This record gives sequence, structure tokens and C-alpha cells, in this order.
Amino acid sequence: MSTPRPSSPPLRSPEQRHGDPAMSTPRNAQRSPGSSGPAWLLVTRREVVSRITDKSFLLGTALMVAMLVGFIGFTAWQDEKTDTVTLGATPEGLAMARAIADAAPEVDDKVEVTLVELDDQVAAEAALGEDEVDAWLHPVADGWELTSESSEQDSLTDVVRVVVRQQVLAENASASGTTAEALEAGSAVSTDFLRGDAEKAAVAQAVGFVFVFLFYFAALIFGMQLASSVIEEKQSRIVEIIAAAIPLRHLLAGKVLGNTALAVIQLLIYLAVGLVGLSFTPYKSYVPALSGPTVWFIGFFLAGFVALACLWAVAGSLASRTEDLQATSTPLTMLMLAMFFGGVSLDGRGQVIASFVPPVSAVVMPKRILAGGVEWWEPLVALGLLAAFAVVTVWVGERLYRRALLQTGGRVSLRQAWSAAE
Amino acid sequence: MLEIRELTRRFGELTAVDQVSFEVPAGQMTGFVGANGAGKTTTMRMVMGVLGIHGGEVLWQGRPITRLDRRTFGYMPEERGLYPKQPILDQLVYVAQLKGMGRTEARSQVQELLERFGLGDRTKDHLEKLSLGNQQRVQIIASVLPKPAALILDEPFSGLDPLAVDSMVDLLREYTRDDIPVLFSSHQLDLVERLCDRLVVLAQGRRVAAGTVSELRDAGVPRFRLVLGGDAGWVRDHHGLEVLDLDGATALVEVRQTGAEQQLIAEATSRGDVHEFVRVRPALSEIYREAIA
Repeated sequence: MSTPRPSSPPLRSPEQRHGDPAMSTPRNAQRSPGSSGPAWLLVTRREVVSRITDKSFLLGTALMVAMLVGFIGFTAWQDEKTDTVTLGATPEGLAMARAIADAAPEVDDKVEVTLVELDDQVAAEAALGEDEVDAWLHPVADGWELTSESSEQDSLTDVVRVVVRQQVLAENASASGTTAEALEAGSAVSTDFLRGDAEKAAVAQAVGFVFVFLFYFAALIFGMQLASSVIEEKQSRIVEIIAAAIPLRHLLAGKVLGNTALAVIQLLIYLAVGLVGLSFTPYKSYVPALSGPTVWFIGFFLAGFVALACLWAVAGSLASRTEDLQATSTPLTMLMLAMFFGGVSLDGRGQVIASFVPPVSAVVMPKRILAGGVEWWEPLVALGLLAAFAVVTVWVGERLYRRALLQTGGRVSLRQAWSAAE
Repeated sequence: MLEIRELTRRFGELTAVDQVSFEVPAGQMTGFVGANGAGKTTTMRMVMGVLGIHGGEVLWQGRPITRLDRRTFGYMPEERGLYPKQPILDQLVYVAQLKGMGRTEARSQVQELLERFGLGDRTKDHLEKLSLGNQQRVQIIASVLPKPAALILDEPFSGLDPLAVDSMVDLLREYTRDDIPVLFSSHQLDLVERLCDRLVVLAQGRRVAAGTVSELRDAGVPRFRLVLGGDAGWVRDHHGLEVLDLDGATALVEVRQTGAEQQLIAEATSRGDVHEFVRVRPALSEIYREAIA
């Protein structure tokens, strides 16, 4: 390191060079603290700015939005489009096949059946092999058979089943001197829901999954990021410079708040894209009904994320190198997985209980709210418990973080961190 | 003035720093030497409040040091410490803000310092993209922001080439001229000898020597070298002296009885020519080796 201009000492401001000794006394060197706002706010700002200007973060968010739009578009298209299938029939099955082709739109308006006449079994198998027909209909000893090459044609099979059954039933009925209607009278089974309907339940199920996934995804991605930024500070020792300047509590608070803000902003973008996207699909009538649960979800997300973010910071502070993170974060990764699977698969009484148990309640309660039938006080109690849990993790996390952060030389165990002298 | 009084720190069973006391007077450079694990870093971290103190105290201007005092200290941790993947201007401004500077003020001061260090055109570069020497410059800027009241530097010279060392020395001298106390640790004894006004030697957590360089060099039993015109063999029989080395006309002696060296020179002149009679002060490295032995 060479001093650029020996004649002008690098670290003297012009006033000092002109001989103002007061400037250099320690008393005057002590600046008034807080001229840039509270320390935690400075940390928060750095976390947000350094992340938001990071290309991989922006790219990841954009990619996720693109995937969301794509998924919604694909679902809508899948729902709208008509399946066109080609049904082959040999002479003995031609009449039935024609009846199926004619009746198909009535049975399922998304299926269109095109008829292809085939000479015999050999021709039929050849046609199947060359994909000229999707399936071949022919009578067998105890009814009819639909042969396809290797995979079943679901929508076609359903249509064929219904039409063949109607046809044969009608024939059999008239042979016995009665009618199909008379035979079927009183045998219909229909479904009904006390709350909503089947489609609504399906939408709630799907959106519930999205909620669980979004939480899991955000908690894991931002948690990992938070933990590795803690390690970065610890490993590069900048934490010592920071610790000498501000209380570590402020550093932790700033980091947790910064990452929470980023996660919530990202979540809001995803939810907005999701809801707006949904309003362009046939499910648009559900959008107003979804906004209430979505607001609840944001509340639960916030409390749940803060609780977990502190634990992630602890995981980072226990490690002394990036390589250690795998080990120190394992309990948290397990917790995340438990939350994910609990959120996705719990139902009935288990779901009700889990919807009050933090931190799982962060994903389970919004799901229950979506499904409906939740008393007004239930989300409030669950959110209160989750917030209380967050307070505990912040308190415990702060103590562990503060003590583990400045310990160097290898991984720190939780017990060491808890009981270490400061 | 920074005073360290009976500072103690334990890690479990091990007492890493054991009742260490010394002073870092204003305007003086105090070198902190000792083997690895002697407790230098631990002491400095306690001074900076980064590590808890188990006993003793740190005084600043005669009263117990506070967090706000420490905030005005410039600190360079061992193995450095800044964000590798952040533009240097941004992170220096951040550090300055954490130390209480306003954003605009911090920006202009950082910009000015970067320019003076020849890094004015690299403000947007990430730290990791700079050469080691340049990273070191950025590091020193971080520790002197804002104008520090004291400098605590842990191994500031490690990994620097001789030119960079000179430049760092110039820089530190500027601070001592401004009456700022500077404490730095180093393994390089020659450097410490060249640079320091005062010296503190730690061994296994204890202070084994402290004082100005000349105090330390004068502290031991006085030694003299005598070079005569003829053979110096007779010196062996002289009372009150111990002959450490004898080689033809040259003898190195240690004074056991006060005044024995005066009798020696009197006898030498009476016997013949005396070419040289000089007090031999041990090199710092010798003192150091004796101190930690």
C-alpha cells in the first residue's frame, strides 16, 4: 500500500491540515449518535437494498411470477379446451361407435369423438399402432371392449361407458318389456354439501395448497438467505466492527425485519399475480371469496415468518463457516418439512388442533379459514398464540444469536451458546 | 489515554487473559506482541466490547469506557472484516453510518478517503474483486471512519508487502501526531521495534513486559563489549563481572557488581590500548524471547 501523495497525508481533512487541533481531540471526534436514524433501521435498509439489487433475487422473483402466470394460464386452457379423440370401429361395433360419437357432446361437452371405420381386427391393431385412432371399440363375450395402444383414454372411456350402458340397458329393457327409465327409477345418487359445493371445496383445497407452499417456499428461501448472511458477517469478522458500533440486538432486529419485509413484498406480488390471474379464468367468481382468507394468510405469514427468521439467524450464528450451515440448520429444515406436510395432509380433528399450534398454525389456520366453517374467534386465538410464540423465539433467538455470534473457532452447540458468558 | 487494568477473561477452564494491565498513552504507538494464543486478540476484543470482561476494567480518559466511547474507536479485527460481495463505497458508508455519521457526510468522507487511497474510480467494485493490498486499504478506511478517538488494530500488517507496510506506518504516524492512542498487535518484532513508542509483551495470558522500547532494552543486567589492542584473556579474572563471550581481543561481559565495569575500563587502559568500550543493549527479539521463556 503506497500513500498516493506523501505531501498530503491521506487522512487529514483540509481543516485539520490548516491546523485546527480541536478537530482531532477525542472529545470532538465523538459524533452525535443516531444522525442516520436508529441502527436497526440502517441494518434493515442494507438488507433490503443489497438483496433487491441482487440479480439472482430479482431473477428468481420474476421466474416465480412467470411460473405462476403460466400455471394459471395452463389450468384455464386445460379447463376450456375440447378433447378430440378418434374412435375406431370394426363393422360389428360400428353402430355402437356411431351412437357414442353422436352422444358424446351430451355426456361431456369437452369431448369430441371422431369416428373411423376399420375393416377388421388386423386393420384395427395397425391403426392403433400408427396412432390413426386413439382407441378401438369392439364387442366381446360379456359386453364391449375399448382397446388402446398403451394408455387409457380417460375422457373417452367415461363417455363410452355411459353411452354403452344407456344403449345396452335400453335394449335389455325393451327385451324384458320395460323401459330403461323404469329400471333405473330411484337409483340416482347425487352429492350435496352443507357448505358451498364440490367446486368450491376443490378451489379451497387448491388455494390452501398454494398458501402452504408459499409459506414453505418463502420461509426456506429467505431463512437460508438470512442464515448465510449471518455466517458471512461472522466469517468475515465484520460482525466485530458492527458489534463495536451498535448493540447486536439491533443487528438481529434489522436483519430479521429486512428479510421479513422482503418476504412479505414478494408474497404480496405472488398473491396479487395469483388473484388477478385467477380473475381471468372461469374461477373468477371465487376471487372475492378468497380475499378475506388471503388477508388472514398474510397476517399468519408475517407472525410465522418473524418467529422462524429469528431461529434461522441463530442457525447462522452457530456455524462458523458456510459449510457448517447444513448441520446447524437441520432441525429447522425438519421443522419446515413438518409444517409443509402437516399443512398439506392434516385433516379432521388433527387439522383443528394443528391450526392452533405454532408454528404449524401459520399454514393450517389459513387453510381452515379457506375451507370455511371457522368460528370468528378461532383465527384470532391462533394468531395470538403464533405471535406469542414469535415473541418467545425472538427472545430466545436474540440471546443465542448474541452469544454464538462472536464465538470463533468451529461450530457452537446450542447448549454452549445458551450458557456461554458474554 | 486508554488504560487496561487487571483485565481477565476465561474460556471454560482456560484463563486466556490473566489480570493484564497496561496503558496506551495518547499520541503513542503501542505494540502488542506475544506468541499465538498469548491473549492479544482476546484483550483487544475486550477493549472493543466485542467480548465480555470477566475481571478488571478498561478506562478511557480516566473513567470506565462506555459503548459510546467505543463507537468512536477505530477497530480492525483479526483476519479483517467487510462484506466481500458489496460495492466498497456502499459498505464503507454503511459502516460510517453505524458509527453515527449522517449519510451525506459519510458519503463525501468515504469518497474523499477512497480517492486519496487511489480507489476513487473503483467505488462500485465489490470488495472481493480488489487486490489484497487494495482490500487492506478499504479495511483501514473502515476503521478510521469517522475520525477515530483511538485505534485498536489486530495484526494490521499481516499479509502486507514492505511498501504497503511503510504506507500503513505513515498513516498510523499521522494519527499519533494528532494525539490519538494507537494499539496494534504484531508478530513482526523488527517492525514493532522500528515503529513502537511502547511495547507490551504477553505470554500465556499474562503481561510479562511493558514499557518504552529503551526502557525495556535498558532494563536487563548491563552488558558491555570491550575491544583491546592485545589479547583480552585477563578479563576472565576480573571481579564482579561475568564473561559471556571471549574472542581474541574482544570480550562481552555482564556486570554483576555495580561499578565493576568502571574498574574494568581503568585496568584496560592501564594495560594498553582500548579500541572500544560500549554498552550492549539486547535486541527486542532477545528481550522478547527472555520475557516469554
